[in-house]
Amino acid sequence: MTFLRIRVRRAILRNLLIYCSAAIVLFVMAFPLFGLLLTSLQPEAVIRSRDVQFVPETLHLEHFAEVLAPGHIAQVREAMLNSFIVSILTAIVCLVISLPAAYAISRLRLPGRLVLLGAMISVYFLPTTLFLIPMFVLFVSWGIDDSFLSLIIPYSGFILPFEIWILKAFIDKLPSDIEDAARVDGCSDLQVMMRVVLPLVRPGLLAGFIFAFILSWIEFLTPLIFTSDLKISTVALGMFRSTIDIKVGQQAAAAVLTLLPVAFLMLVFQGLISRVLLGAGDR
Amino acid sequence: MPAALNLNSARLTGGAALVPTNRKRRREVRRALLMVAPAVLLVATIYLYPALYTLTLSFAKFDMVRLTIGSSVGFGNYADLLNNSAFVDATLRTIYFGLLIAVSATVIGFLIALLLDQKFYGRTVVRVVVVLPWAVPPVVAGVLWGQMFHADVGFVNALLTRVGLIDRYQIWLGSGWSALHVIAIAEIWKAIPFMVLFLLAGLQSLPRHVFEAASVDGASAGQRFRHMMMPLMMPIVIPLALIQFVWAMKAFDTIFVLTRGGPAGGTTTLNYFVYREAFQTFDLGRASAAAYVLLLVTLFVVLLSTLFRRFLRRELL
Repeated sequence: MTFLRIRVRRAILRNLLIYCSAAIVLFVMAFPLFGLLLTSLQPEAVIRSRDVQFVPETLHLEHFAEVLAPGHIAQVREAMLNSFIVSILTAIVCLVISLPAAYAISRLRLPGRLVLLGAMISVYFLPTTLFLIPMFVLFVSWGIDDSFLSLIIPYSGFILPFEIWILKAFIDKLPSDIEDAARVDGCSDLQVMMRVVLPLVRPGLLAGFIFAFILSWIEFLTPLIFTSDLKISTVALGMFRSTIDIKVGQQAAAAVLTLLPVAFLMLVFQGLISRVLLGAGDR
Repeated sequence: MPAALNLNSARLTGGAALVPTNRKRRREVRRALLMVAPAVLLVATIYLYPALYTLTLSFAKFDMVRLTIGSSVGFGNYADLLNNSAFVDATLRTIYFGLLIAVSATVIGFLIALLLDQKFYGRTVVRVVVVLPWAVPPVVAGVLWGQMFHADVGFVNALLTRVGLIDRYQIWLGSGWSALHVIAIAEIWKAIPFMVLFLLAGLQSLPRHVFEAASVDGASAGQRFRHMMMPLMMPIVIPLALIQFVWAMKAFDTIFVLTRGGPAGGTTTLNYFVYREAFQTFDLGRASAAAYVLLLVTLFVVLLSTLFRRFLRRELL
């Protein structure tokens, strides 16, 4: 009897511990985002009052409308459009360059290929500022600072090693029999890559595209240094400009708009994303 | 390994065309080189050339008119930095900041992973919510925590006052010391999803029956944690903590948005110091030297943790 009672008491204690810590975790991780969303949806007067309401009485979409209106200081609408263009172009450049490289590293007898990949990946240990000074000098002397090119080139370089790593992991998982069969039938390496590997590695390409898009979308330091023209401001930069002298509510709305596309992609492709990170395509 | 397999399957299928001769192999290498060339070229332009340029520049003055590396100054830039107390402070601050983030993100991430490894109602919800900060771009995280810790309209002041922990509104970003920790909180919050995801995957890969056997044999939860889980998880925990440290070395967006390195330089980490020297003071030579010091600090910690890992392996396993 006492033994049973101890076990029951233990189970209760364990559950109490689990649910309490779950509540704390939920609160700490979600509350800042909830707060941001709340701020973006409340009238400025409510935000400014110290009598903070954690449950909103009315929702108010004015901040979004104001921030998105043409001619707003932070230019969020134009910035979002710019970011879409730059991110999509970067993602395409990355895929086009990294697919052949990933294929060669995964399948062909290239001496030192793993060392090459390792060297490329290890640049992520280095601080970005190390590379930005010469790039700044180069771009200024080429006269391409303040252009989309001055964003797409560095972004592609930053993302490329990761992209090759993703695609290689996907190609590694493909059975090589089909490629061998195609070779026996007389296909060249290029044909094998384009006609056999490309269709099979589509989930990898999608994953690569999404990662490149997200990483370009959130990049902040590069546009901060290489662009000063408001016309080509990216969304991360526009978001930051919104911190200078606009209302708190509008700032929150701009922040929500900046994170929305990323959150959307992450939500839709969460299976694919965690698959990539936890050892590309284990299933 | 895949290459060897290819070779075998080629022989088995009788693909005579596939048995590599020297000439064929050379041609394959050439084709492979062509395929990696664009990637290598781009990476070399973006990383290798700039890294070497910065290294050269760290020993010289920059000629702003002609936009080239000017006269050499030997170790002058480095000597300047070492005599600059702002730089020395920034270096020490950077190491503290990195360790704080790496340790906190690892410990908190581990605790959350342990929680999510249990079965309970609503586990999926907690899992999704824990991953949420991942979808938040760093700039937005900066703005978000800036609003949370806002002296006037911030929720942190409102909450803490309501609960009674503070009796009047605090200016969290007002002093360097507290502002540095606000930035660290933003970074840790942002790092937790990554840590939890990998630590949880690690926990779930542990051999469950061994733990059950130990439990049957009378090992207490504490003993199982110390003598079984810790040694098994260390090979996962240490690289993850290291990655967090390296990322903390690169933290920029949150610092820029929240404090711009202030107040009074109290949140200037080395990375931010390099940015300020290069793109505000335009002393590119000194900025390059500082960037290399940052690189050395990072490499030093990477090396230390590799040694530590080796030591642990010898001691624990």
